[in-house]
Amino acid sequence: MVLVLAIGDLHIPHRAPDLPAKFKSMLVPGKIQHILCTGNLCIKEVHDYLKSLCPDLHITRGEYDADARYPENKTLTIGQFKLGLCHGHQIIPWGDLDSLAMLQRQLDVDILVTGHTHQFKAYKHEAGVVINPGSATGAYSSITYDVNPSFVLMDIDGLRVVVYVYELIDGEVKVDKIDFKKTANTQSAH
Amino acid sequence: MEDEAPGNGTGNAGAMGKKGVPEWLNSSLWASSSSPPASASTTAAACLFRSPPSPKPEAPKRAPIPEPGSPPSPKPEAPTRASIPEPPRPPQPPSEAPRPSVEAPPDDRSPSRLSQEEVSRQSQLLAELSKKVVNIGELRRLASQGIPDDTGIRSIVWKLLLGYLPYDREFWMQELAKKRSQYKAFKEEFLMNPSEMARRLEESAGHKNEELETGGRGFLMRSEITHDEHPLSLGKTSVWNQFFQETETIEQIERDVKRTHPDMQFFCGDSSLAKSNQEALRHILIIFAKLNPGIRYVQGMNELLAPLFYVFRNDPDQNNAAYAEADAFFCFVELLSGFRDNFCQKLDNSVVGIRSTISKLSELLKKHDGELWRHLEITTKVNPQFYAFRWITLLLTQEFNFVDSLHIWDALLSDPDGPQDTLLRVCCAMLILVRKRLLAGDFTSNLKLLQNYPQTNIDHLLYVANKLRGSSAG
Repeated sequence: MVLVLAIGDLHIPHRAPDLPAKFKSMLVPGKIQHILCTGNLCIKEVHDYLKSLCPDLHITRGEYDADARYPENKTLTIGQFKLGLCHGHQIIPWGDLDSLAMLQRQLDVDILVTGHTHQFKAYKHEAGVVINPGSATGAYSSITYDVNPSFVLMDIDGLRVVVYVYELIDGEVKVDKIDFKKTANTQSAH
Repeated sequence: MEDEAPGNGTGNAGAMGKKGVPEWLNSSLWASSSSPPASASTTAAACLFRSPPSPKPEAPKRAPIPEPGSPPSPKPEAPTRASIPEPPRPPQPPSEAPRPSVEAPPDDRSPSRLSQEEVSRQSQLLAELSKKVVNIGELRRLASQGIPDDTGIRSIVWKLLLGYLPYDREFWMQELAKKRSQYKAFKEEFLMNPSEMARRLEESAGHKNEELETGGRGFLMRSEITHDEHPLSLGKTSVWNQFFQETETIEQIERDVKRTHPDMQFFCGDSSLAKSNQEALRHILIIFAKLNPGIRYVQGMNELLAPLFYVFRNDPDQNNAAYAEADAFFCFVELLSGFRDNFCQKLDNSVVGIRSTISKLSELLKKHDGELWRHLEITTKVNPQFYAFRWITLLLTQEFNFVDSLHIWDALLSDPDGPQDTLLRVCCAMLILVRKRLLAGDFTSNLKLLQNYPQTNIDHLLYVANKLRGSSAG
């Protein structure tokens, strides 16, 4: 039972001052084992805050990040799943699912976590699953102003993943979940 | 032999006039060094239950006893007994007819490893256990003298004394089956993590989840969650929230289990035996904490559980040994029911709390050995809380080596009124046995002595404790 937080595109302080209060009250240390951050924090204080939630923090570089040393892509293995992380501004067209699928095959991961569009998406294709946690602060994106704050928490348990989607809609936190599993450790066909 | 005359000039002139040292205490029989009185006290102990002895006639008997050499003197004192490895004894299931003679010890460390008196005790115990309805009073009486080690009797006797097994042998099977399956249900209920719980709920509701390999593309289906059941939930009824709140307790339990008896292979180490035993201890303590939210887990409970689990796990009956975890759980609950007040911090200052128990010990010491009491508490200002707290809350498991503490527990558990009275008497006896050193010492040396109590002959200690029963100062 491993809890993995997928979060990103906060754009603090340029586009948003802070996480919504209701999100902040839920994100307490001690519950989460890993954090995958898609990028665009943008400043060190946000990095420190995320580090305080969980020591195992993985970040990839977004185009506005102050710290230029974050990697472009990252892969890691948690339990039976391989996860990949990339901000997504590098993938053109932005948010295009076929192009993201290409990246996923390239990284050879079961779950690709990516951002930049500030819209939550959970999409399945032959090579695996793409999850976009959206923007945790609801900051406007390069594409649209109409953004609901959202983030994702994955519960990885053996071969099964339960994805809890947290969205702030009209001031209320709404939680949905998505359940999927993979059959066995299959090798990548590519 | 009366070299330690009463009123041993410690400068307490006032003491001499009032309560002197009781006469029976005066004999050097009760000197704190363990070897000379050991053999005498065995016979003394043996005689105790045949006819009340007076210490003086024993004294002249002492001389001849060490002479004959082999039978009583290698009569293993408790410490050496522990070091003799367990000779493989044939298992003695209680259902068999009592075996009147002791088996010839396979290793001939000493010609008669058990003394006469132990042999008879063992056969008496076996006789009692093989009856259809066990006479609990008789069993208590026999058990209080000590249960022979390495014979597997202790497991059954403790279960009877703690009320786990009914007295009527006929009901043993069904009672055991019932309790063991109840424990199994507890395990399923309390040891599951929220992920699994959610999964079970899903499966029972018949939801299918998406398979990644079914090919094709598309957006994954979102479904609503019910009752605020998500991992970050802060709701009081959320299983996730409860799970996270309990992690602190569970971490504490894990830490303590890992440090239980680090010197024993049974509990500590890398072997799979040690790991599975630790796992069992962990389960028991977690389930206890969840079933008792008022008291949860307090450091030290692992020490009370360890002897129970050890004894049951080493039951020669394989079937019983396999269920040691379940049996130990219920016996632990029973044992703790008398002592839980000691672990509850809020009750510390109340009538039933630990402070009041410690003051009872103080009173007991004052009653039996006023001089020592005065010296300890007033002259050297050794507050009994400094040493008695651990003695009492952990039932003396930390003061003696493991085998000795099992013997002490035989006596404690056999008390029909609950272990506390016997416990206080044993503690008082512990103090009295080292009185010479205490009276000669100051605060530092006394505290050091009492917090690292020296190895003693346990039979001797229990004999003294028994003498304190009901008698008023001499």
